[in-house]
Amino acid sequence: MIKPHSFVEIWVYLSGSPLIALFITLVAYQIGLWAYQKTKQNPLLNPVAIAVILVATFIELVDMQYDKYFEGAQFIHFLLGSATVALAIPIYRGISSLKNRVTPLLVALFTGGAISIASGVGISTLLGADKNIIGAFYSKSVTAPIAMGIAERIGTSPTLTAIFAVCTGILGAILAPYVLNFLRIKPWWQRGFPIGVASHGIGASRAFSINVEAGTYASLAMGLHGITGSIAIPVIYKLFN
Amino acid sequence: MLLGLIQILLFQSLGELISKFLLPSLPGPVIGLVFLLCWLMIKKEINSSLALVSDALSQYLGLLFVPAAVGVVLFLPQLKENALPIICALIGSVVLTIGGTALVLKLFNQEK
Repeated sequence: MIKPHSFVEIWVYLSGSPLIALFITLVAYQIGLWAYQKTKQNPLLNPVAIAVILVATFIELVDMQYDKYFEGAQFIHFLLGSATVALAIPIYRGISSLKNRVTPLLVALFTGGAISIASGVGISTLLGADKNIIGAFYSKSVTAPIAMGIAERIGTSPTLTAIFAVCTGILGAILAPYVLNFLRIKPWWQRGFPIGVASHGIGASRAFSINVEAGTYASLAMGLHGITGSIAIPVIYKLFN
Repeated sequence: MLLGLIQILLFQSLGELISKFLLPSLPGPVIGLVFLLCWLMIKKEINSSLALVSDALSQYLGLLFVPAAVGVVLFLPQLKENALPIICALIGSVVLTIGGTALVLKLFNQEK
């Protein structure tokens, strides 16, 4: 007769393989996507935020170490690099619709990037945040996969950077319409571009759901900010640290 | 689809190599991105296989940084302690960044 395995044994076996980490990550993200789509893409119900909360709660409940979880989930994490390279395609599509707007867009991009760092780092420093927290503000307006690459290069925490980037994306997606209406910005391309500069992919997908031109300019801004940010942020970081 | 994936991995590897040996301050995937962008601008078209892979990856881009973001569990006590500066900086910075960028675009447009 085969001895019945205890639940604990089965659990030990499962948690030792990458399967469980992959499985909960995908399930959590799918739940997030459902919630997001069910509420007609309410930025508050961001799929990444929901997935992170669900997975974090799960691994706390079953007492799984983060290292252990990441060991399995790294197969998903690995694709970040490929996804970054693939951002060339939306940038290319955006460039072909540029017309003669190159100069204003580039000036706006550099101004926006500078304001993002100065205000993020400035406010957190003034209010007395810890040093590693302040460090994570440098690349928070850059799209998360690139922001994490920059964080690794300058020696700040990639995790905190990713968290701040996601929060910035969500906040930007929620607040952008109010800011833009307050400043009486009307043309769609002028509304889309600032959203992409400040709140990268999450802002861009929100912009896409409102207007295609706004979305195209937002993802163009996200891509350009990714490239210029990875060149400029390490230099700026060195100047102040 | 496979051909598109091969192209992306090729540019990614190229980027990683250049990052490792020539430009250590830039993340490899970003260098790969720039090269792929130049390649597309020279060819002036995106082949369907590459478009397919790229659309799939960008559709699930959010999923890809969940594993790293779950690392937030390691920082929870510190985040709680720094909650006020973090919230103020996140909100203040995003409002100023959107506003500043939009104003630059508006000013440029009025000159014409």
